[in-house]
Amino acid sequence: MKKFLTGSMTLLMVLYGGMALAGTTIEFSDPKGDDDGPGKYTYPTDAVYTPGSFDLTNVELEDAGDKVKVTVTVKAKIEDPWDSKAWDGNGFSVQMFVIHIDTDHKAGSGHKDGLPGFNVTFADDQLWDKALVISPQGKTRVQAEVTAKAAAMKKDILIPTSVSVRGRKVVATFNKSDLGGDLSKSWGYQVLVQSNEGFPDKTDFLTRKVNEFGGQHRFGGGSDYDCDPHVMDLIAGKAQGEGSEKSEQHKMLGTFKCNADGSGTRAVLQMVYPEG
Amino acid sequence: MRTSRLFIVLALAPGLVGFSTSAQAETRNFELYGKIYTKWLYRNNDNAGVLSLGNPFWPDNMSGDNGVATEFELNIKGRVGDNVQAGVRIKSRFGALWQDWWENGDIRYDAENTSGESLGMNRAQYMKLRGYWIQAALPIPFVDNVLVGSSDLGMFNEWTIGKVRYIDRDNGKGIFVQGAFDEDLLRFHAAIIALPKLWVGPQWSTGVGDPLVRLPFYSQDWAYGLKLESDPYDGVKITAIGTATVDSEVDMTDPDAVGSDNASCTDELGNAIPGCERDGAVDWTNRYTNVVGTLETQIDTWDGGSFNVLLGASYQSINPDVTGNGVLLNNGVYPLVYDPDMFGAFARVRAELYDIADDTSLKFEYFNIGQHFQTIFGARREVDVLLTDGFIEGGQVATLNSANEFVDFDEAYYETVIGWHGATAILEYQSDLELSLEGTFLTYNTNAQNRDVDEKYPDFLHTDGFTDTDLYDYANVYDRGRDPRSVFRRNQDRMSAIAVLKGLWHTDLGNGLDVGLKTKFIWDSDKRSDTTDIDDYLGLMSMTRLWLTYPAADGLSLTVGGQFDYWKEDNRRGTIEQGYGDDTTTKVRPWLALAYTFDGFTLKYQFEYFYKDAQRERDDDRLFHVIRSKASLEVGW
Repeated sequence: MKKFLTGSMTLLMVLYGGMALAGTTIEFSDPKGDDDGPGKYTYPTDAVYTPGSFDLTNVELEDAGDKVKVTVTVKAKIEDPWDSKAWDGNGFSVQMFVIHIDTDHKAGSGHKDGLPGFNVTFADDQLWDKALVISPQGKTRVQAEVTAKAAAMKKDILIPTSVSVRGRKVVATFNKSDLGGDLSKSWGYQVLVQSNEGFPDKTDFLTRKVNEFGGQHRFGGGSDYDCDPHVMDLIAGKAQGEGSEKSEQHKMLGTFKCNADGSGTRAVLQMVYPEG
Repeated sequence: MRTSRLFIVLALAPGLVGFSTSAQAETRNFELYGKIYTKWLYRNNDNAGVLSLGNPFWPDNMSGDNGVATEFELNIKGRVGDNVQAGVRIKSRFGALWQDWWENGDIRYDAENTSGESLGMNRAQYMKLRGYWIQAALPIPFVDNVLVGSSDLGMFNEWTIGKVRYIDRDNGKGIFVQGAFDEDLLRFHAAIIALPKLWVGPQWSTGVGDPLVRLPFYSQDWAYGLKLESDPYDGVKITAIGTATVDSEVDMTDPDAVGSDNASCTDELGNAIPGCERDGAVDWTNRYTNVVGTLETQIDTWDGGSFNVLLGASYQSINPDVTGNGVLLNNGVYPLVYDPDMFGAFARVRAELYDIADDTSLKFEYFNIGQHFQTIFGARREVDVLLTDGFIEGGQVATLNSANEFVDFDEAYYETVIGWHGATAILEYQSDLELSLEGTFLTYNTNAQNRDVDEKYPDFLHTDGFTDTDLYDYANVYDRGRDPRSVFRRNQDRMSAIAVLKGLWHTDLGNGLDVGLKTKFIWDSDKRSDTTDIDDYLGLMSMTRLWLTYPAADGLSLTVGGQFDYWKEDNRRGTIEQGYGDDTTTKVRPWLALAYTFDGFTLKYQFEYFYKDAQRERDDDRLFHVIRSKASLEVGW
């Protein structure tokens, strides 16, 4: 009996130790068919923007030792029609993802505005503290864009140490030290899907514009002014992939207002807090 | 767009207060995008110009290895209405050196002189209308939009009508209709495209320059394409593409045709030709027809992997009455098999297994490209139809019509895969350390004895030796080896194997030093004639490259690297009658590179020393000490 108890205790300790060492994994799902921003956005007409390219279906953040591994999944197979390796890119061409993280959930703490070109803001008590950028562009280009267009946010914008593509998934690895600590389910998360624009407007952070009328390389269904959110998809509600999250996304991204002269107010986004 | 509008309004405002309203009205709907691109190209030789390899057939006066030139382009886009928009791209001609101060394009002399009127329009920097398009969302059931004008033709695929190369992206003109009967079950893209008169056709022409075509009639030469796409299940995508390329000429037997053979409707004896009658209309006849179809199934239903099956078939028809035999007339330099009635096919199957171990995936590809598969309008470069790294750096294309001209020394080369039959497996590990190991084995559907390369199969004149793309020249004065298009040989019994190891380590040193490695080994055997073994070719080629890239500052990366090649080729070149020689080639290429991006200012620079020692048994040895560099500066606004 004593041996049994000793053995059981040893086994429990080993299991507990293993569980303690295992990193946190945080997963979000998003319904299919909501890659239309606030509800009416359309894809550019060029054939490289295949249906489902911007339709977010799943996001997983995994604590991997001194790294954080982020896996973003979209509905369609991720292609590389512009041969990104030829411009020191990361193996895909069309998409761009930014994961915003609110690490303290304190009003007034963090950045209210999204990255330039996304045309979004965050709720006052849900400001983002870190933004993980997964772009097809190489590190040098992204760093240059951050310095030129988002200098005030620079220390909080993280660029991955490696990026790879696996079918419908993009996997990016970030230094955990840059994140400021272990992943936590008490943090808030918001994942924005945009399109990589190699020739962005002078104030846009590698983002593709949304116009009123879509073009070969412009999304449609929005405004010709920069008052509308330039986001095709995001996570909403509890981010469990339920159909109702589609309307919650539309409602969230639809909080913008465009006046006739181009002025207005920007869409206000909510974070998703896994622990509620 | 808003910024551009504001810029124009502000630019026009000073001194124009009285017209400000109308000026705004005229520019409000103009979205402008400009770009200035400058290139420096230098090498230790005596060749002036600013393009490493220009036009191989009609030498231009802009090609050369020493020069600096600039081009400017202006894109204008506007809204015609709520559902209609239009755009143009205007661009200056590239090729005028900074030293060409007064060259005005008014070529009045046939040799360079001090007049400023001797080099022609290539050196005049004139602005040219390069592209124009109108896109409309017309209220037609099932039609999303109609495009009239320029397109890069990227809506089909590499095997049918290929996306044109970047520098030609607006040269293709046509009418394109895109829509869907059901967004998931049936989408379509239909097109009618004007054939480029100096590319898509026998002898790179739709009749111009053909010795059998007296009056080239290229205004009715068109390609037709239809793509149907369906997602019948979540994660399953089926794409069917059918294209037809039709080059027509005037039927010179029609008595109404100018210069008709039967203008009088009588034969040489003066007798009436039955059925011959003038009717005020001129008939056409097809010179060349190429029909290509592909069916592709992409399966992504399983999280553990994906599968892709691509099947294709082609048919070509040549009318010998109006199509000169370029295989015969042009020493085998001809972009198609001269077969008046030819069918061909290919198959390619891919499987990719993700995460077979942590961060490890496996890709597998089987390919079988028929020797008679023919696509005259397929992609010529800037694509890669197979997974393998191939023989030369760059990519593989599915047409004999590949384009390796109008490139600089640092640009990729493309080889044709017609006749390739084999398989590739690639094991990849992707983390902060990226590793990939490729193994490819292939044999050739083009293996044959006593093949007719005199009148039917083009061999592109240079069929032997491993291709050196580092020091490439069209006429092969450098003995650069096989033409990348040369897949047919009189006697061939060839098989090959390719092994490639690539590594890229993203270290945490400093700002993040990257260490890269690529090493490739090729085993290439060709017994050539089966009547003797004195011509048996065996090539053992190894190429190894190591480089370090360091992000020295925001937007600035520095690279230093070196490459070492050693090729040992038994019976590289020769003939059975004259004998063959065993050659070795040693190449060393250290290089430095810089990339700098700041606030829209994008600078790239590469400097390299290139050493090549070709020890040739039957010919004089060749030694090269080349120093060359290229820089480019681009700004856009």
